[in-house]
Amino acid sequence: MAEIRIKNLHKEFGVGDDKVVALEDVNLDISGHSFVSIVGPSGCGKSTLLNILTGIETPTNGTVEITSDGHVAAPGYVFQAARLLPWRTVTDNLLFVQEDRSEGTKERCQRYLEMVQLGDKGDKFPGELSGGMQQRVGIARAFSIEPDVLFMDEPFSHLDAITARALRRELHHMWDETKKMVVFVTHDVGEAVELSNRILVFAKGGRLEDDIQIDLPFPRDPADDEVAVAKAHVLRKFEELDLLAS
Amino acid sequence: MTVTETRPGTAGSQPAPNPGQRLFAIPTKIAKSPLSARVLFPIVLFAVWELSLIAVEEIWPFAVDVLPTPSEVGGFMWDEFITDTLARKNLYETFFISLRRLLSGFAIAMVLGTALGLAMGLSRATNAFCHDWTMAILAMPALAWALFNSIIFGFDDRGPILTVILAGIPFVIVNVREGVRNTPRELFDMARSFQVPQSKVIRHVLVPSLMPFMFAAARYCFSIGWKGLVIAEVFGGQDGAGWTIKFWYDAHRAHGVVGYAAFFVIFAILFERLVFEPISRRAFRWRPQLQTEVVEEAFGEHHEHYGEEETARHG
Ligand SMILES: Nc1ncnc2c1ncn2[C@@H]1O[C@H](COP(=O)(O)OP(=O)(O)O)[C@@H](O)[C@H]1O
Ligand SMILES: [Mg+2]
Repeated sequence: MAEIRIKNLHKEFGVGDDKVVALEDVNLDISGHSFVSIVGPSGCGKSTLLNILTGIETPTNGTVEITSDGHVAAPGYVFQAARLLPWRTVTDNLLFVQEDRSEGTKERCQRYLEMVQLGDKGDKFPGELSGGMQQRVGIARAFSIEPDVLFMDEPFSHLDAITARALRRELHHMWDETKKMVVFVTHDVGEAVELSNRILVFAKGGRLEDDIQIDLPFPRDPADDEVAVAKAHVLRKFEELDLLAS
Repeated sequence: MTVTETRPGTAGSQPAPNPGQRLFAIPTKIAKSPLSARVLFPIVLFAVWELSLIAVEEIWPFAVDVLPTPSEVGGFMWDEFITDTLARKNLYETFFISLRRLLSGFAIAMVLGTALGLAMGLSRATNAFCHDWTMAILAMPALAWALFNSIIFGFDDRGPILTVILAGIPFVIVNVREGVRNTPRELFDMARSFQVPQSKVIRHVLVPSLMPFMFAAARYCFSIGWKGLVIAEVFGGQDGAGWTIKFWYDAHRAHGVVGYAAFFVIFAILFERLVFEPISRRAFRWRPQLQTEVVEEAFGEHHEHYGEEETARHG
């Protein structure tokens, strides 16, 4: 089981007049088979938090620890834009992040491509695919390393509504099946309520303002009364925190 | 009154053409096609050439002895082609000599220019130190290099080769530096988050991202270097393409000068078509062609009404 421990995390960019506080004194524990959504207005440090957790950025202060059964956990990262190597085929993009190129690895990559319905697109270059298909390749890439924790930064925000909805379902399905931890950034409260059992609300200045548990059964239908109530509850929190204006 | 605008080529929205229009459709199509325009160019060129010779003859009859006609030039080029020449070396020997110099200079300029460009792209201090020098070399006409080098080296290979290097290297430096400055940061971050080893990142991210810039550098370096080489050979050579055009000039053979100039153009075009284009096609296979159809495929089943999520956006 994976575990994330964040202690007194502080992150600043720039110096002097250009100084920006991206995260301020964040303390947080996530463990087990959770689906945690991080919501908040743009610029509140959501991407920065994920970048620190995945080792792209280093904290200014404080510590982060991601472990899985006592050893350092392997993270998978799905970015807001697919971030594929345009000069490599879809299959080679998946192989790029693997530790080896053995037959077993290749089969695993193919399996995850099939899972996002792109089993026959392995020989294509990313430029030959639509935006939605590229994003699915990005998702397959993150899954293909079979990470202990899956980080996703607004993965569906560039997609059309129908594709996004289908992918949300697929994601929920995979989370349910693999029992992996997912940390999911979004600025869409409806999406967060539909997918997660825990919602973290961040405010401008990178402060963690609220930690909401949502204990409703899956799959959740946005039209369902209880889901609508939960969503209204989160939106009310937003109002209280005066986040809607931003 | 209503005004309807129809853009040409948008199918379905155009009214049916009347019979009169249809009659002219085919000739108009031929007249508008890029291919016929291309074919028309040499015809127009030769016509203007012949006609202006006739016109000049009217005004100043003696000039005709000097000005070459298309058939004279064509005949000269054919003789050169079958190695029947008055010059000391035939066409193929001449171009082989020049090509050897060009490729030596080109290779040196590419290697040195890439090294300098990398250093300048990676280090601000190096860039500050080299920037003005690069610009100065860039601003210097190839003619000046050719003259300097022939003074220094006299009549051997070094002058022309150095001219190629000096003419080409600023383009290599500038392009490689831009390439380094434009490396895709987000792809490096991606690789780091997936803990991809450094050597793999260099091979699969850094090098491919530099390729378009390297390629632009090579093309410029080659074509500018070629022009520099010809000038250098005029002043500081005993053979080569530049020397040979000067030979025809000194021999008062205007058709030789024009014909040799045409060989220069043919040489450059052949190189572009036979070397650069095939390499470019192979290296940039991944670039989406304009013709490639990008299809958004339906993903999974999605028959349900959607709309809730859109209304709950923040930030
Ligand atoms: N590399 C960086 N350099 C300077 N400032 C940055 C950098 N990355 C993020 N920031 C700043 O940190 C704050 C948080 O950014 P980010 O984490 O991207 O927000 P979010 O993902 O919630 O929209 C913003 O004010 C942003 O401008
Ligand atoms: Mg962000």
